[in-house]
Amino acid sequence: MLNYNTSIKQDKIYSDLEIKEIKPIMKLIIRGKTKDFITAIGKNLNMILPIEANTSTAGEALTALWLSPDEWMLISNKTISEETNTYEVEDNLIKNISKTKLGAITDVSDQFVMINIKGNKVFDLFATGSPFNFNEFKNKKGSVTQTILSHIDVIIHLTEINNVNLFVRRSFSKHLHSWLNDSASRL
Amino acid sequence: MFLITCPFCGEREQSEFKAGGEAHIIRPKQPTELSDDEWAEYLFMRKNIKGVQLERWNHANGCRKWFNAVRDTNNDEIKAIYKMGEKPPSI
Repeated sequence: MLNYNTSIKQDKIYSDLEIKEIKPIMKLIIRGKTKDFITAIGKNLNMILPIEANTSTAGEALTALWLSPDEWMLISNKTISEETNTYEVEDNLIKNISKTKLGAITDVSDQFVMINIKGNKVFDLFATGSPFNFNEFKNKKGSVTQTILSHIDVIIHLTEINNVNLFVRRSFSKHLHSWLNDSASRL
Repeated sequence: MFLITCPFCGEREQSEFKAGGEAHIIRPKQPTELSDDEWAEYLFMRKNIKGVQLERWNHANGCRKWFNAVRDTNNDEIKAIYKMGEKPPSI
């Protein structure tokens, strides 16, 4: 990731709620369908992609989020250097997956913004603007869902109970962050 | 508003989906040999029935996959869901 201006200027803290952007995080979209693809990804990443819908698998350095039957998002567990936008994992996957035509790898590190929201009122906040039923989701650590929040496409990953990472496209991030703060201030 | 069960993600609210119209309309094998009326029939004319209808739906704000649904247009009851390429269930 190289230098760029973020639309989220400051961390926000409310009673029972904290909202902040975590950056830079590597984010890759991985697409593929065949058994060979799954095997090759497993060998390259030393982890298994989640096959069950709305789940994730976490390794030491990376977490894979299920997005659809043939699509996953791979994210780094820790922040990475701001000085570069080349990643060893991406290079390996491009060499062993894209170039061998087993699947497709797309770098979306700068396309998506990751916002961490934690606190007892996380799901009260989501309930004000999402049609998704979070009843089962909020008790199952590692759950992933793609849904709508304030009319915006988001990916939500439950990392711990009452602690979620929310991925939103960068062009929507300023508006969503503003909406999150407005909504959080009224809870 | 009603709930639709995506065959991949599970039960979600209708606002996450986009309707894709009537299902199982087969593209003519030789479009250039069709008359204008026949081509218009394929492109535009739909049954639009009141009752049980086979439809295509897309989980646009979720997994972005297409699937088929059997919907009663009288009351929006989804009677069955089946994946693309599968035969419709007998209802």
